Amino acid sequence: MESIKYVDALNDYYGAMGNPPYRWTINETAPLHRLDKPLSECVVSLLTSGGVSQCSMPAFDPDARNDHRLDAIDRGVDAADFQIHDSYYDHRDADRDINCILPLERLREMADSGEIGKVADRLWSGFMGRIYNRTKVLEETGPAFADALQEDEVDLLVAVPS
Amino acid sequence: MGLVCRLLEERGIATVYVATGRDLTMLVKPPRALFVNHPMGNNFGPAGDVEMQADILRTALALIYSAEQGGDLVDYPSDWPETFRFAPGASA
Repeated sequence: MESIKYVDALNDYYGAMGNPPYRWTINETAPLHRLDKPLSECVVSLLTSGGVSQCSMPAFDPDARNDHRLDAIDRGVDAADFQIHDSYYDHRDADRDINCILPLERLREMADSGEIGKVADRLWSGFMGRIYNRTKVLEETGPAFADALQEDEVDLLVAVPS
Repeated sequence: MGLVCRLLEERGIATVYVATGRDLTMLVKPPRALFVNHPMGNNFGPAGDVEMQADILRTALALIYSAEQGGDLVDYPSDWPETFRFAPGASA
């Protein structure tokens, strides 16, 4: 099927809720960092924005706006130890199998088989949608996240928006 | 999240963005993106489909080396078996 026109759908949905018009970011170019080592030597981490938290942690606010919370998740976490709270997508499959949006078991298998170097010490959940104050992302939370990834010697991040 | 990817790339961390929103991704233009035409929340496929999850992850990781310029978007070849729509409120 043809891909969904989310921009139109979200504009309509947010507007009907009385929210101000969302100013979509439009970029014409993008930076690109080329890796100079093979995947089999890379430290890989994951990031989900799908309102995913470990069961021992507070739930994310399913209707959050401007929520800059970012949780670190230990790489050895039990794949069943998650809860999902987000009103903006259907996460019933992901409730049953977190790998639908955070493929941590698949990534661990790739580390076991030597396809990647290793799974990073920490995986991540945060940067939920509906962030209106992007300056804070660019000047505070984003750079702090980069610092944390560099602390873990991460070469490569798989980012999964939902 | 696309903005975060752009920032990370400038800090020397390679990123790949596995998205279910093609038009949204085209606007933000993360450095490398794999578009998967699945419902939002099924970026790596259905629950329990280990083979598809692994294939989408492998395809995404391969983009790290094959992307020729920043902003490249590749379409993952997949046909979701049912028609789907934007579904806010389907689960909370």
